[in-house]
Amino acid sequence: MQLARSEQTSRLDGLTMSILGLGGLGAAVGFFMAMTAPPDVGQGFVARIFHVHVPVAWIAYLASFTALGYSIAYLVRRKSRHDRVAAATVEVGLIFMGLTLVTGMLWARPTWGVYWEWEPRLTTSAILFAIYVGYVVVRGAIEDPELRAKAAAGIAILGSINVPISYMSVRWWRSIHQTQSIDLSTGRIMVDTAILIPMLVNLAAFTLLFVGLVRLRSIIAARQAAREEV
Amino acid sequence: MRRVLWLAWRDLVLEFRGRTGILSVVFFLAVMLFILAMAFGPNQQDLQSAAPGVLWVALAFAGSLLAGRAFGLEIEDGTLDDLLLTAGSREWIYFGKLLFQFALLVMVGLALLVLTAGLFYLPMQHWNWYVITLLLGSLGYAAISTFYAGMLARLRGREILLPLLLFPLVIPVVLAAVRLTQGLAEGIPISELSDWLRLLLVFNIVYVTVCAILFPAMLEG
Repeated sequence: MQLARSEQTSRLDGLTMSILGLGGLGAAVGFFMAMTAPPDVGQGFVARIFHVHVPVAWIAYLASFTALGYSIAYLVRRKSRHDRVAAATVEVGLIFMGLTLVTGMLWARPTWGVYWEWEPRLTTSAILFAIYVGYVVVRGAIEDPELRAKAAAGIAILGSINVPISYMSVRWWRSIHQTQSIDLSTGRIMVDTAILIPMLVNLAAFTLLFVGLVRLRSIIAARQAAREEV
Repeated sequence: MRRVLWLAWRDLVLEFRGRTGILSVVFFLAVMLFILAMAFGPNQQDLQSAAPGVLWVALAFAGSLLAGRAFGLEIEDGTLDDLLLTAGSREWIYFGKLLFQFALLVMVGLALLVLTAGLFYLPMQHWNWYVITLLLGSLGYAAISTFYAGMLARLRGREILLPLLLFPLVIPVVLAAVRLTQGLAEGIPISELSDWLRLLLVFNIVYVTVCAILFPAMLEG
């Protein structure tokens, strides 16, 4: 029974593959739409990086929230599945956070004239990136699975709580980012629909890729855990 | 509550009897300040503008050195299991260790403050506000360092893992404390700096609470 269940969770299922496939397809369509979108009035063609930067950044923070949720779930329920998903979320989130930083810096150079600006969102992302690097390193350093899961959950929870606090602290420290494209508090949309639609297509595609990659990573982790038990 | 005080008191006594601990940290910091002063100096104005940053970076390093001491002796002597076996909930272990770390940091911080005032010409008219900043900043720092020190206590490479986890999290504390110190040194009235004080307070309340809730789960097993 035990074996059957672990095989069930570690099977590379069709759902994961189709999510990944759909995400890849969506990303290709989104890329084409972004490249054919009209250039920005102020920034010209440079602004097209917006179609990658914004969705990638959203996913990075989505990953942070998901990791927080699954880490709390692990500490409450103590199911190793929750720990595996949290770890997968952080690892995939780390990639997206890295992409956010790189695309942000590439965009900053032509528009602000510098690669790095001590701006709240940029700095907060860098801090979160550092926290997740610590998360991955600590996971690699602890061998006992239960101890590893608990420590990782602790780091993820403390790290996620840190996001609003460090955001506020850097914001008071200094500020130069563009206004957000969609004001989350009022729901007002600040960009043209011709530019918005490719961005949303990309967002959907990256979300699918994110979910697919997390599933894939969790399946690999489950197989590893099953092998260690044998 | 009595237990918390006893635990902190016992650790402080052990720390001072050991002699190698806190004294060597203070001397290490004095040497560090010397080197930093040489790097920034000898122009008085340059030193003055660097002083708040130097003070808090030095204290952050001291904190990461001292953090390992919170559980280091317990592991060496194998007494952590005895602590865990005491009846009742385990939050008090966290609070006891937090109090110990906080007391150590404040002591080292006061020594640092005097040294910085001397070597970096930090103006001391508002010394009472400096001390308040030091108290709030140390508490925030200790809240996180105690938590991680307990979590990683039994781990082998903890000396390097601890700062790796600790520093990104305490950035708001260091930032707020540096800004406060800088503002006070420049003679800006405290009412204009109250945002930073509030940030430190919020940070302390949030992290002491969350760490105290999570800590027992980290030590089990």
